[in-house]
Amino acid sequence: MNKIVKLALVLFAVSAIVAGVLGVVNELTYPVIDAQKQAKTAAAFASVLQADRFDLIDFSNPDFPTVQTVHKAEGVGYVVTSTFSGAQGNITLAVGVDNDFKCTGISVIEHSETSGLGANAASTGEVGVNFRKQFVGQDESIALSNAGGSIDALTGATITSRAITEAVATSILAVESLS
Amino acid sequence: MNRKKQFTEGLITNNPVLVQQIGMCATMAITTTLFNGIGMGLSVLIILTCCNVVISAIRKIIPGEIRLAIFVVVIAGFVTIVDMLLKAFVPALSEALGVFIPLIVVNCIIIGRAEAFCQKMPVKDSFFDGIFQGLGYTCVLIAMCVVRELLGSGRFGGGLIDVANGFRFTLDGTGAGIQIFPESYGASIMTLPFGGFLTLGLLIAAMQYALKKAEDKKAKKAEEKKEAEK
Repeated sequence: MNKIVKLALVLFAVSAIVAGVLGVVNELTYPVIDAQKQAKTAAAFASVLQADRFDLIDFSNPDFPTVQTVHKAEGVGYVVTSTFSGAQGNITLAVGVDNDFKCTGISVIEHSETSGLGANAASTGEVGVNFRKQFVGQDESIALSNAGGSIDALTGATITSRAITEAVATSILAVESLS
Repeated sequence: MNRKKQFTEGLITNNPVLVQQIGMCATMAITTTLFNGIGMGLSVLIILTCCNVVISAIRKIIPGEIRLAIFVVVIAGFVTIVDMLLKAFVPALSEALGVFIPLIVVNCIIIGRAEAFCQKMPVKDSFFDGIFQGLGYTCVLIAMCVVRELLGSGRFGGGLIDVANGFRFTLDGTGAGIQIFPESYGASIMTLPFGGFLTLGLLIAAMQYALKKAEDKKAKKAEEKKEAEK
């Protein structure tokens, strides 16, 4: 019995020390990580819609479960962020929508798609830029070319491409539901 | 303990990936660009060295029955610290490696070295063991990255080297690398897990061949010496 108590105490002590150290490191790194996340989101917003400021507006519509936030840029349009499942995991996407309900650009904020295939949707390379460019000017009837639309899917990443296309349509519909 | 022997063991004769064949999962998954490979290699090197030192330092007070639990707690602690530091200061790398940084917790290299080496050896030896084994791991990652990146996307040093405005190193992962042939000619299958298996398999085969040859040579020499003595 004594032995078990001793074992438990040693394990507890080691865990407590490690937890303490982690707490300190977290305290030090959290502000930096948070600032980076915000800067990244701000950069994503700026790349999808040209506006000086974005104001978070209240959006809670049960018809759009994937929509996370909607920001309004006065007189210019909206930026919708949504999280939905891609081929490997969740994708978080920012979609710019102007006042005519046309997409002004998309930016992938977070994803875990296959490197070299689905990950191209977020890449800064030619493939990624050309893929994202196709969404500019589209309305809510957007679809992949194999479904009668005009968006060419990424090679070998149909699921990712379809998920993103659907998310763009959802985002536009979400903005339409506001008016 | 002989440092030189430890060095050759870590890098060649007892290389963690090519000879001990541990830590293969991350090796296959992340070796698509040089940036990833070096980042992952250095992360493992740092974590391995820290864990080796701490585990070796507390080896006498750890009860044998719960040593594995304690190893895992210590390893998880260091991995989380490195994960947080990377997220804060090298976010591009943290993003590129994704889940494979937290997964270092279950990387057998670290628990393997703790179990096989550090729990019996003094702190100093464990420290060098961490450095050399980590270097061995990093070298394998770099070799795989170079092969897969070249064949898969025709590039060298993606994320790490920028040649657009003169030659410079980019630590934020923005460098496009040196394009050796157009990306569209690359066999993109090499950047997928399949390419990882293929490259790793061939590397292991080459290593085993080289080791076997060196051994044969040694045996032959010993035999000749014996003959001469007769």
